[in-house]
Amino acid sequence: MEILIQQLVNSLSVASVTILIGMGITLIFGLAGIVNFAHGEFLMIGGIATWFFVGMGLNFFVALLLAMVVVGALGFVAERCLFRFTLDRPMNGFIMSIGLSVILQHVVVRVFDEFQKSTPDPLGAVWVVGDVHIIAMRAVVVVITAIVVAITYFGITRSRYGLALRASVADQATAELMGIPVRRYVTGVFVYGSILAGLGGALMIGLFPITPFVGSVVITRGFVVSLMGGLGNVNGAVLAGLVLGLVDGLSAGYGYPEWTDAYSLVLMIVILVVRPQGLLGGTLGPKAS
Amino acid sequence: MTMEFLNLKVPMALGGAHGKAPAGSTEGAGNRGRRIEQIALAVALIAIVAALPSLNIGYRFLSIAITTGYTAIALYGLGLQFGQAGIMSVGHAAMLGVGAYTAAMLSNHLGVGFWAALPASIVFAAIAGGLVGLPSLRVSGQHYIIITFCCCALLVICLTNGGKLTGAATGLDVGSIPRVFGINFDKLFNYYYLVLAALVITLGLVYAIVNSSYGRTLRSIRENEQLARAIGINVDLHKIGVFMASGAFAGLAGILQVYYLRHISPTLYGAFPSLYLALMVMLGGGRLIYGPLIGAIIVNFLPEVMDLNPVDSRIAYGVALLVVILLLPGGVSSGLLAIYRWICGRLFGRVSKAGS
Repeated sequence: MEILIQQLVNSLSVASVTILIGMGITLIFGLAGIVNFAHGEFLMIGGIATWFFVGMGLNFFVALLLAMVVVGALGFVAERCLFRFTLDRPMNGFIMSIGLSVILQHVVVRVFDEFQKSTPDPLGAVWVVGDVHIIAMRAVVVVITAIVVAITYFGITRSRYGLALRASVADQATAELMGIPVRRYVTGVFVYGSILAGLGGALMIGLFPITPFVGSVVITRGFVVSLMGGLGNVNGAVLAGLVLGLVDGLSAGYGYPEWTDAYSLVLMIVILVVRPQGLLGGTLGPKAS
Repeated sequence: MTMEFLNLKVPMALGGAHGKAPAGSTEGAGNRGRRIEQIALAVALIAIVAALPSLNIGYRFLSIAITTGYTAIALYGLGLQFGQAGIMSVGHAAMLGVGAYTAAMLSNHLGVGFWAALPASIVFAAIAGGLVGLPSLRVSGQHYIIITFCCCALLVICLTNGGKLTGAATGLDVGSIPRVFGINFDKLFNYYYLVLAALVITLGLVYAIVNSSYGRTLRSIRENEQLARAIGINVDLHKIGVFMASGAFAGLAGILQVYYLRHISPTLYGAFPSLYLALMVMLGGGRLIYGPLIGAIIVNFLPEVMDLNPVDSRIAYGVALLVVILLLPGGVSSGLLAIYRWICGRLFGRVSKAGS
């Protein structure tokens, strides 16, 4: 029983990072209409930046904030210089983001090296509740994710910015006539999603070591989460992230761990074929071209 | 001057059925001249690449040429799927993997040699292509691309967990190709000619497909799927058909790859190789007949020519891809064609104008 609870807590912390990735992708894909294949690399850069700042002697949480700024800036540049020009041809944007992911990966390998990097456990504490040992950092990751999810959810569903954003997705021309600066919103969503990736990367390196090539694994999981939950749907991303995290965590303990990644992939292909709009429904993403 | 260049470039960038860009437009006035042009170009190209080994170019160059050759074969499959039917895949290395592993498993477990395994590789890769293509009937656009990526990841997981059957993470070894008419394929020169022969056959087949009524059907699906369906084209059947053709070429490339490398492992067919295949097609251009070949040549020879290390060369591909997509959406091949037509236009006046 203790082991089960421990497994649950562990998978919850892994699920948190997955949720952050999935939420970033679901917003960028579903609301800005951009499929950013380099999102995994954004996360990797968030992690590497955290590692770099921690190596310079900064506190982990200061490094985390700086990493979010770095990745946010990266997202801004990427959107303004690249994706802006392919908004009407999403397929080209998609292919371009593959190029971007290759570039980012190898720039990091070039600047640093290709070996895995880790930071010392930022809290270094273990909480004991009954017989259950919980690594403090894992709990902190879950709490931070919960806060970010809440902010995002209310931002999208309740604030006037969220309303304007959803209006732009529903009908771009009308939204523009109503005085909504649609393009600026696209940039905003892209940058916000990138910041989430930066946060995810920073939290990830707080949990386990990462390599410059972690992006391609992460992006697959991110797509699984965002497509399973329905694009642009924050609730859906959270639900799918939890399901995926639990399936992973529990299969690592009880199932066939070597097939862990396969479960989520098969699940997603089935869901996409049966319910292309995802479990909870979404915007269906930008129109396919 | 600039204006004229732009005028020529625009229809090609759009690339639709109306421009002169598609190699398949058999209608039109300058048709005969263009066909002679094409045949002359093909003969010249084949003569050049066939003469390469006798120029004493060294083993390193030759082995890169072999890699380029089988990569180009796989790219022609992807080019058919993307350029003609308009369905991209970022999991195409999986098809190569099916072809390669079919050959390697047949050789390891049943003792079947290269020549007998060749059709099996092609057939199995074609079947795999059709299976991966099935979701495209329901899911389109970027969603489908993501599915192809996931299928590729799935295959790698299966290969890694396949135990003795697939050699798990270490992979499988194969022997050499049995001699035919006394030709020893262990020699690099002979292997080069084998790959070249396969490439020429591939080119011929792709040219035939692109210029057949089947090619036109595929392009009609690419341009407007609803319209194609409405005029009675069996869109679903043709889509699966093009996936199977694409898989078959990848299977051929796969078996050539495994017998060249002599050893394969799952990482050869994972996410990165798949992304590079997609990158090469986009770089070269999927719609023109020489596009995939140009893409393969650029990506394989660039590091050698510019003396880059692998990391730098990958950054260079990435940057090249961004530049090509932003400035030249039809790929390098369409840019070259535009330049060629422009030069022809300057030299002969009206010739190149006839088609537009």
